[in-house]
Amino acid sequence: MEHLLPLAAALPLVAAALLPAVAWRRPDAAWGWAVAVGAGLLGIVGLLLRRLLQDGPFSYAVGGWAPPWGIELRFDALSAFSLGIALVGVAVLVFSGRYAQAAVPPQRRAWYYSLLLVNLGGLVGFACAADLFNLFVCMELVSVSSYALVAAGGGRIAALAAFKYLVAGAVSSLLVLFAVGILHALTGSLNMADVALRLADVEARGPVLLALGALTAGFMVKAALFPLHLWLPDAHASAPSPVSAVLSALVVKLGVLGLARVLPLFAGLDWLVLAPLHEGLAWLGAIAIVAGALAALLQEDLKLMLAYSTVSNIGYIVLGLGLATPLAMTGGLVHVFYHALIKATLFLAAGAIIHQAGFRTLRDLRGVGRAMPWTGVALSLGVLAIVGLPPTAGFLGKWYLLLGALEAGRPGFAVALLAGALLIFVYYLRILNAFYFRAPLREQILAVREAPLSMLLPVMALALLCLLGGLFGSGPVALAALAAARLAGGG
Amino acid sequence: MRRLLTALALAIVGAVMLAGLAGLPRPGDPAAPVHTHVAAHIVAHGVEDTGSRNLVTAVLLAYRAYDTFGEVVVIFAALAAVMVVLAPAAAPPPGKTAPPPSPAPAVAPSPVVGFVIRLLAPFIAAFAALVLWHGEALPGGGFQAGVILGALLVLLSVVMGRGLEQPLVPAAAARWLQAAGPLAFAAAMLIGLAGAGAVLGLPAEPAWGRHAVLLLLELGIGLGGAAIILGLYLQMRGH
Repeated sequence: MEHLLPLAAALPLVAAALLPAVAWRRPDAAWGWAVAVGAGLLGIVGLLLRRLLQDGPFSYAVGGWAPPWGIELRFDALSAFSLGIALVGVAVLVFSGRYAQAAVPPQRRAWYYSLLLVNLGGLVGFACAADLFNLFVCMELVSVSSYALVAAGGGRIAALAAFKYLVAGAVSSLLVLFAVGILHALTGSLNMADVALRLADVEARGPVLLALGALTAGFMVKAALFPLHLWLPDAHASAPSPVSAVLSALVVKLGVLGLARVLPLFAGLDWLVLAPLHEGLAWLGAIAIVAGALAALLQEDLKLMLAYSTVSNIGYIVLGLGLATPLAMTGGLVHVFYHALIKATLFLAAGAIIHQAGFRTLRDLRGVGRAMPWTGVALSLGVLAIVGLPPTAGFLGKWYLLLGALEAGRPGFAVALLAGALLIFVYYLRILNAFYFRAPLREQILAVREAPLSMLLPVMALALLCLLGGLFGSGPVALAALAAARLAGGG
Repeated sequence: MRRLLTALALAIVGAVMLAGLAGLPRPGDPAAPVHTHVAAHIVAHGVEDTGSRNLVTAVLLAYRAYDTFGEVVVIFAALAAVMVVLAPAAAPPPGKTAPPPSPAPAVAPSPVVGFVIRLLAPFIAAFAALVLWHGEALPGGGFQAGVILGALLVLLSVVMGRGLEQPLVPAAAARWLQAAGPLAFAAAMLIGLAGAGAVLGLPAEPAWGRHAVLLLLELGIGLGGAAIILGLYLQMRGH
């Protein structure tokens, strides 16, 4: 049973390497193989989660080498995000079946699924890593596959966006590696718990500060936190829609999870006060909420709009981490999970609409809601959820954040939060208005047909989770509160 | 102006980084934590724990095998990335399944070069095998052997004019070979589970078991690496 922990990441990674060989003679097998692996991953994560809820966090020493000599994996409340990874992963893989037939050239398809599996495996490995270098390796798995997936559909804009993403991502990866190197030089260890312990005895302050700065900056780029978000909109908007869903729902969370993993390493130093860093993060988060929402308001392109909305939502999460009160951090972390579900719903629904209609701007898509009723309903549910209306999934995170801002005695941040929600409401009203209440501008819209079942099913399932997430939110909130308590406790 | 600002920003960031690094322990200081904590344990117990006389291999394939597995998949992902970006975007025209032949090199390699490379090929391959085999005891191992073998395959492809349409390694076999690294690790995971009670553990029984596992990993990394290098070359040849 405990052996499932290393296998959770290994299953998709090995299956990814085998996929092009399996699909060589039968190209149609690629999709089935990928979906089966995704379902297997979901099953494994479910078992791990059950064990977490029953017995609390648990560790695994890979190869039987006890930490800190070997690599330790740990499944704790923060790793529970794996459930989001697996859920979104399965939905995206199922959705890709019909979508990739149209959007990904046949000779690239096997490699496309292969890279998606590498991406999912890396994400799960990242969520379960308890070792700094293992964290970096998993981050590279995710990053390398993400850069390529952006360009998988072909086209000049996508290739350029992928290259921009590659440059930004490579710099941030190097920063993180640099910091891991410094920490290793200072402590002689890579195991996170061990590093935290030994860092307390380190006398040299310069390198510690440099490591903290490099880690924060590196993960901020990965999270696309304002003002380091410039690579995100093009990459997320020009990628194939299932890839956009993975990037926006899961991959940017890597930066947030990474921050949540490494900041506690420095909490045990009595000479280092993290409060200014938290203050800075809270401000950047608040600015990102408003700036991202304003930028989204100005977009005509549906996917670009969703991409800027991700910048805004990362702001919410980072604001929660920056406020650093238990309630605010709970809100931020629960939003990590629920934003994944919501943004995946939105990007997949938008992908289905763009795929069926052949247009991608709001003007061209006017009236499409009536032509594609089910996808329209799913998109509307996602919209309600991202605005944060109760009882949807998006409500919980924002509610706890609001409480946290008030608890911290910072009503200014509460105002920013509400202003962001209001702006989001406006730009999603624009979407709903265009889709349902405006007369079609293009006559082709009248002939658009509902998306095929293999696309509709994952979208509807995710939309249902968005709707019910708020009603059955006690589990995720409890886990997020646990993770927040660990973060605040500095261990 | 913009250049000046860039240079200024770089200078400031560089100065901050250098200032931070100045506080690190001096390189080679025997009392530095890098030498006294985990590394000291591995130096003291590595040979006994893993059976490998090369401590680098002990770290790479035993203590931190899980990371190496990740790295091997990263190398595979690099190939997948090149394939997904460079594979022809348009479907081949109906009735024609083979892709259009990639353009022949502008200058045919001289017969002398071709002859010498073919003459050297068995020796280079033997050297790759030696590096792989001895990785357990001497500096070397699967990664290095894979690069040597891959370079040989690329050289041979160049002098023999073999492109995508007629590769040295048949395409179906190449797909499996490209997965050899992750596949070897998957096998080692299961062997460890059955023989050592831990994923990627080294079995204590029989006595040659752990050597066999290490060799299997080296072999997978080497063959996989070579196949991936050849795959990268073939895909980029036409561009």
